[in-house]
Amino acid sequence: MDINIAEHGGVKVVAVAGEVDLSTSPQVRDALLGCILGGTSVVVDLSLVAYIDSSGVASLVEAFQNAKTRGLGFALANVGETPLRVLKLARLDQVFVIHDAVDDAVGALG
Amino acid sequence: MSEQLDLLAKMGRDFAASRDIEVTMSLALARIADLVGAEGGALFLLDDEGRNLTCHASYGPVDIRGMFVGVDQGIVGRSVTNNVSEMVRDVSVDQNFQNTLDEQSGFTTRSVLCAPMAVRGAGDVTERIGAIELVNKTGGDGLFADADLKFLEALVASAGLAILNARMTGELAEKEVMRRELELAAEIQRGLLPPPSEGEFPVSGVNRPARVVSGDFFDHFILYDGRIAFTLADVSGKGMNAALLMAKSASLFRCLGKEDLRPGRLLQRINAEICETSLRGMFVTMVAGVYDPATGRVVLANAGHEPPLLHKADGTFKNLEASAPPVGIPIELSGGGPVPEEVLHLDGGALYIFTDGVTEGYVTDKEELGVDGLKAMIEEALREGLTPDQRLDRVAARLTTSGKPLRDDVTILVIDDAANAQARSQDATARADDTLASTAPIVGSLCRLSLPGRAQSLIMVRRAVEASATSCGFSKEQTQDIVLAVDEACQNVVRHAYAGALDGDMVVDIRRENGEFLVLIRDFAPAVDPATIKSRDLDDVRPGGLGVHFIREVMDTMDYLPPPDGQGNLLRLKKAIL
Repeated sequence: MDINIAEHGGVKVVAVAGEVDLSTSPQVRDALLGCILGGTSVVVDLSLVAYIDSSGVASLVEAFQNAKTRGLGFALANVGETPLRVLKLARLDQVFVIHDAVDDAVGALG
Repeated sequence: MSEQLDLLAKMGRDFAASRDIEVTMSLALARIADLVGAEGGALFLLDDEGRNLTCHASYGPVDIRGMFVGVDQGIVGRSVTNNVSEMVRDVSVDQNFQNTLDEQSGFTTRSVLCAPMAVRGAGDVTERIGAIELVNKTGGDGLFADADLKFLEALVASAGLAILNARMTGELAEKEVMRRELELAAEIQRGLLPPPSEGEFPVSGVNRPARVVSGDFFDHFILYDGRIAFTLADVSGKGMNAALLMAKSASLFRCLGKEDLRPGRLLQRINAEICETSLRGMFVTMVAGVYDPATGRVVLANAGHEPPLLHKADGTFKNLEASAPPVGIPIELSGGGPVPEEVLHLDGGALYIFTDGVTEGYVTDKEELGVDGLKAMIEEALREGLTPDQRLDRVAARLTTSGKPLRDDVTILVIDDAANAQARSQDATARADDTLASTAPIVGSLCRLSLPGRAQSLIMVRRAVEASATSCGFSKEQTQDIVLAVDEACQNVVRHAYAGALDGDMVVDIRRENGEFLVLIRDFAPAVDPATIKSRDLDDVRPGGLGVHFIREVMDTMDYLPPPDGQGNLLRLKKAIL
């Protein structure tokens, strides 16, 4: 699993690639919380995520809640079929703000 | 004379009725002192070394129990040493009288009678027991007369016999205690053997010890996935030492066998454990194996044991030679690696494992059963349609009816695949009739993984589940869902059962059975309470707790099965193959 963090117009774009499972999700959590505690809104690019389990979903939820309490934006972008299926199973597709493309998400938050 | 007979009868009754010989001796002494008419008296017994005479019973105003004199001292010593009665009619005029006991007791002796207790034992050797001493005649001048001595001699002879009797009874009682302890040990040992198999269970065994306890054992138990682990072993020697080593070996098999090791590695581990104990040259020949009723496949490892017999369904026999030295041979000599394994397909046949007590057992005065005799008995029993249990009983009975005691412990174990093979072929016929499954699907275990219970193992579980589900015809989406569900179930093992500790294994068995995709997840952690495993409320958005919801959403059923050996947890996930 790889994590790549870039900045677009004051918003951090965290691109996650590979399989997010119990052994790798702590890294995702740390990266997302790091951005939010640094005071920036976050877009998570999930286009290259091949697998995500409940611990990965939990990292997203935790980051989302932290962003909300700090008045920061948090959105998902480029959610592929596999992660979307998992979000749907968790009924979280209704909760998260999901954009088709990273630019849309950055535009909406920035 | 009648008084003497009367006393003898009374003493005999007292000694027979009493467990406490000291109390009975006091009673006897009092009776004698009373009959002869003495102010005081003492009963002395010679100690085991024959050096001292100790007072065991005392009568009169002063209690001198526990006091002792050397066998070469005083009137008592002289009387016992020479086995003759002594009388000092008047102490004050006897030069030889030594006041040893008076000095210790504070009693004033005026007149003494002393008669030795002795019996004539085997080979006419006189066995000295002790002596009874009486002091101071009651009434008159307080001095004894010759008639008193004669009377005492007669009474003392009876007391001596009674004491000897009581001692022999005590030895008998001690032997009886030892016999009972041995029987208790045998009972515990029988408890180490599995209970008799019920119904059509494919594995059964018999064990008939040559003595009370046995150096042989057999065992079998069902593993979490339905396979059956079995063993049979023979400890060198036959006594209590062999029985104790048997207990250790049997416990090691039970304990390590549940860790789901392969038989060769299991024997290697047992060997390492046993080699750590000092064995005084003892060793154990041992066969261990695992039988899968779903396939008829047996994985067998043999450490120095008599070759087991494979009786194939076509009626031919095959000897399976040992490929490694016995267990308990120091690792430096045996190499210490896993015992080589052999894979057999029973295909409706049966595997017989036995100790040399069977083949070397007498069937007549001189004739041993032998391997050929055993084969003949098996064939005959099969012709008569005997069940595996009955077959073994017949062999054991044959060896105990020669009229001679068993030469060695007799132990046999059979793994009979006939019934399961029949069930498998019926299953196969049913499947062939099923047009949907006509492309010869794989049935039974698709994939089995044994992994450390930690997060890094999950990727391997996912790959295995993905390949297995795809091979069963699930769509890409369904496969992804199943992968997620199994991953979540394994996460629970890693996160909750082992709670982050790396000390346990996780066994994932993926099976296809009766039109269902089946995943069995086994751990060896303390049992979890299934009631505490629940889905979370999805309206409550928070991290964590989603796993069980995913499993319930994706799979048809999720349930905890009792692990066959009561250890750890066994979770079963099912999804119908449509």
